[in-house]
Amino acid sequence: MSSVRRTLTDLGIAALAIGIIAIALELWTSAFRVPGYLMPAPSAVVARFLSDLPFFLREAGVTIVEAAAGFAVGTGVAFALATAMVRSRVLERTLFPLAILVKLTPIVAVAPLFTLWFGFGSAPKVGIAALITFFPMLVNAFVGLRSADLQEVAFLETLGATRDEIFRRLRVPNALPYLFSGARISLNLALIGAVIGEWTGADRGLGRVILVANANLDLATLFAAVLLLAAIGIAANALVGASERRVLHWHPAQLTT
Amino acid sequence: MVPAIEITGVRAGYGSSAVLDGIDLRVPTGEVLAIVGRSGSGKTTLLRVISGAVAPMSGEVRLAGADPSESRRGKRIGLVGQDSALHPWRTVLENVHLPLEVNTLERRGGPTPREWIARVGLDRAVDQYPHELSGGMRQRVALARSLVADPSLLLMDEPLSSLDELTREDLRLELVGFWGNGRTVVYVTHDIGEAVWLADRVAVIGGRPGRIVGTIRVDLARPRDAALRRDPRFLDLVDDVRKLLA
Repeated sequence: MSSVRRTLTDLGIAALAIGIIAIALELWTSAFRVPGYLMPAPSAVVARFLSDLPFFLREAGVTIVEAAAGFAVGTGVAFALATAMVRSRVLERTLFPLAILVKLTPIVAVAPLFTLWFGFGSAPKVGIAALITFFPMLVNAFVGLRSADLQEVAFLETLGATRDEIFRRLRVPNALPYLFSGARISLNLALIGAVIGEWTGADRGLGRVILVANANLDLATLFAAVLLLAAIGIAANALVGASERRVLHWHPAQLTT
Repeated sequence: MVPAIEITGVRAGYGSSAVLDGIDLRVPTGEVLAIVGRSGSGKTTLLRVISGAVAPMSGEVRLAGADPSESRRGKRIGLVGQDSALHPWRTVLENVHLPLEVNTLERRGGPTPREWIARVGLDRAVDQYPHELSGGMRQRVALARSLVADPSLLLMDEPLSSLDELTREDLRLELVGFWGNGRTVVYVTHDIGEAVWLADRVAVIGGRPGRIVGTIRVDLARPRDAALRRDPRFLDLVDDVRKLLA
């Protein structure tokens, strides 16, 4: 219950901050008569959004599904690789440089390639979202899985526990706080990945909406899409935060925050 | 009779540097052996050598006549460290239950986790999480956890050193109650009085690399109480150990 209240409070604070900025922008655009093709008034953005609500929500749904699938694939592969790296020094040494290579490759450069390889459907978007979420999750999972307390490892070893048992009973639960912080970073990146994917070739999704609105100097639509994207990101974060508080109720950090 | 622990000519350490050298030690079954030494003398390493966590560079370790790995596989070793090393995501009951969940090929009878928790006086805290407990309570949980698989060898590495003096005194009295049953105990401490009070025999480690500079038999009757600490014979023994340490 307190977890729900906390999530609502977090969302309330975020809404308040956005509200203050919106009021300031509204005053500014109307006081200086800023033309709508340079900076639309927040009221115009809201009006645009409400006038075509089903359209925005439909496009958002496409992007959310792409981002979620990419997140699942990227973090799943990252966790599997982190597991392998924790178990084998050789794999750690071979996989880590490759992971850094993936991380250093500019997504914008790879995105058109993905479209070339996987076509115009949702596959390249999922691929890009997966690629962009992969590295933060890999690092967090690897550090988390490896950071188990040596005394606890020693205790389990003394009981004749196998490496698998130590992994399951100690390393995985111990890595949970790290996995959650990885998830927080990765979820927002997944959204960005899906949008970038849509920019390089798509007929659906918020990225596509932004691209088309930009070409038409339709800034009200552009901002409505961007703000919707932001709202989705905030909601995703709140969701992670809420499940984190639920799952990690035993964690000392949860007692002080 | 085969001794619970037999160490012959062991040299051990980490990497290429030896922390211990020329260790010979024989612990008969059921004995309570205290190991004392200054910080960094290799007490903990000796405990790790006994449990098989550190393989000796040379020499041999036998537990009940077999390799330490046999004892580990047979779940015959209990371990209590300086920190309780409890799993923070498990309640008291779940923590004490843990030894029964791993290495499930080995099962032995004996008191249940709940009974052990009651024995260490925490029956009202079974569903609490480690972060809700005091340091002394956590060490009690660690103690219950180390005993739940009914080990024949109990290794304790300064289990009371992170606690306040009054809690230590209480726990010391209780500890003795859980020994016996033919359990062999190796108790590492830097507290000389504690070593003499608890043990049948005190082994002193000194030098660099560490070796056993002497052992002292403690012929004080059991059960022992707090008043024993003022007994002249007790004080003489403490003095003997101190001389070996110097």
